[in-house]
Formats: sequence, structure tokens, C-alpha cells
Amino acid sequence: MANSKKPALQKQFTVLLVVIAVIGAAALGWVATRSGGGGVAVDPNLPLGTAQAFRLGNPDAPVKIVEFADFECPACGQFAMLTKPDVHERLVKTGLASVEFYVFPLPMHANTWSASNAAYCANEQGKFWEMHDRLFYTMDLWNTQATKNPDKKMKQYAAELGLDASKFDECLDSQRHYPNIKASGAEAERQGIGETPSFIIGGKKYAGSLPYDEIKRLVDEELVRLGKADTTKKGAK
Amino acid sequence: MIIAILALVGLFVAVYLWMFKLGIIGSLSCKIGGCDKVNTSPWAIFLGQPVAFWGVLYYVGTFAAAYASTLERFAADRRAALLLVVLTGWGVLFSGYLTYLEAAVIHAWCQWCVVSAIIICIMFVLAVWEWRRAK
Repeated sequence: MANSKKPALQKQFTVLLVVIAVIGAAALGWVATRSGGGGVAVDPNLPLGTAQAFRLGNPDAPVKIVEFADFECPACGQFAMLTKPDVHERLVKTGLASVEFYVFPLPMHANTWSASNAAYCANEQGKFWEMHDRLFYTMDLWNTQATKNPDKKMKQYAAELGLDASKFDECLDSQRHYPNIKASGAEAERQGIGETPSFIIGGKKYAGSLPYDEIKRLVDEELVRLGKADTTKKGAK
Repeated sequence: MIIAILALVGLFVAVYLWMFKLGIIGSLSCKIGGCDKVNTSPWAIFLGQPVAFWGVLYYVGTFAAAYASTLERFAADRRAALLLVVLTGWGVLFSGYLTYLEAAVIHAWCQWCVVSAIIICIMFVLAVWEWRRAK
């Protein structure tokens, strides 16, 4: 009797494992795709407020990609290193879209304020995006785990980027952009942004990093909606 | 059987953390502690790969061993029980090291890492119990 029960028990056990596996895979799939799903509608009447956006590309481009990111967020860094170059080359340079970048400092990242301040100060000398890239590419060297004096690194990067050191140092030390950074973070919260990176494309909000193909799809959808789909003939792939 | 179920649950925890390291997930769901701080620390990398990646491999291996030990052909094989003791024992040691890092070096707790450590400890106790029973 025991022998006849064993195969049946084994079968039930295997079925149980499959059920657990399916539930677990579905949960992970939901977590992974919720950012790329239908998106969350943003009130179209809600203006972006007075927080400063750093623009990449033509302000008259038909589609606007709004990004909210924290300089000390690893996923934001991966987006900046892996996806942004494609967005820049294929969507921004072709005139299909522009990018508006908002700083969203998260409370668990102690050094993100110094980095954000450095980016704002670099912007005073017209090199926001150069500093943006440098910060994301070197995050491991200046983040909270790496140093308690991030300003030293920021001044080093400013020198390497060819910024006027005295002006940059004065800007960084004065911390005069902290209210602007705070306003930018408040703006992100007002837009209902809960994690970084997050994006608004075509009036819909997407939480979490997006791969290039997904961004391209959303931009294409918006171009179709705007009746400007023929602009894709410019060569974006 | 319970070890296989626990290994499967642990596998999903490890995959979740690995997805974060890959940038598929923007930020971890973390009700308590500092998951981001732990998972972005230098100790979140081991032998050039994210610790979560090694966790995925570990749980796949442990699940395979645990499932195999439930099959009739291995039921009487003490080596299968011993293999599980070795695997889960190694897991306890490595989890203990990671928990020490969280408590004493990083000074932050990752709830998912703690869940994984608890799973491994329970698997180890069950594996030892199975092994002694198979003697």
C-alpha cells in the first residue's frame, strides 16, 4: 500500500512545486514589467512647476521624455550608461524627442546632494550633461559607501571636465543650489514619482528603468497619436 | 520535500535581488532596513559578480539536490542527504558572513537578505535531521 502511495505523493509534490514556481515567476514578471506596462496616467493639466529641468535636444521636438533620477541610484546609473546613449543618438539627435532631466534626491543616499549640487554648478558653465555622465559612470568612487567627502571628488571631476575651478568651487561650497535641488525633489513627489529612475512619456508615468526598445515604442506611439509618425523616416531604429 | 520548497522560495528571492542589480527593477521593495544601501555596497559583489547572482546559482543547485533526494531511486541513498547537509551548511556559513557584514560593517539591513538567511538556516536544520534519519 505504501508503494502505491509513493508515486502518487511524488506526483502531488511535483505539482505543488510547479504551482509555487508559476506563482513566483508571475510575481517577478509583474515586478519587472509594471514599469513598462500601460503606465499611470498623469493629469495633463498638472504643470511641471518651477523646478529646473535640464534639457537634451530640441525643445520643439514632438515628444518629450521626462526623466526623474537620483545620481546615487544604481539603476539610474545603468540607464545613463546603457540606455541613454541610444536615446541620445537615435531619438534626440534625429529630432524625434527631447529629454528633460529632473534631479530626485532620495533620502537614503547621503552623497547625492553633493553630486546634484555639482551637476547644477557644472550647468552654470554649460556642462551639465558632461557632469551628469561623469557622475553616473563613476558612482562607485564617490557614493555613500565610498567616501564621506564627496565634494573633493566633485572638484576633481570639474577640473577634469575643464570647468573654471574657482567658479565651480565657489558654487559648490556655497551650496546655493540646494533649494533648487529640494524644489526638484518636491516636484518629483508632486508628480507622484515614488522611485528612480521614473519617466513621463506621452502623458504617462513609468516607474523603473526602461530599455531602449520600450522607450522607442512609447515615442513611436506618441508620434502616431500626434499625427507626426512620418518623422520616424528620419532614421531612428 | 520541504527543503525543495524552501529552495524554490529562496530562488525567487535571489532572482528578485539579481533583477535589481541588473537594473530591471528601479528600487527594491523594502519595508524595513536599507535594502538599497546593502545591495549597492562594495560587499554586494563577490568574485566579480553580484552576490545575488551567486545566490541564484546556489538555490538552483540546492533545489535540484533537494528534489532529486525526494525521488524513489535516491530515497535510500545517504549520499543525497549528505550532499544537502554540505550544501546547506555552506549556505549557513556564507549567510552568516553576509549577516555579519550587514550588522557590523555596512550598518544596514536588507530584509530580503535576512529572509534568505532564515530560509537557509531552516534548510540546514532539516537537512541534518534527514541525514541523521537516513543513518
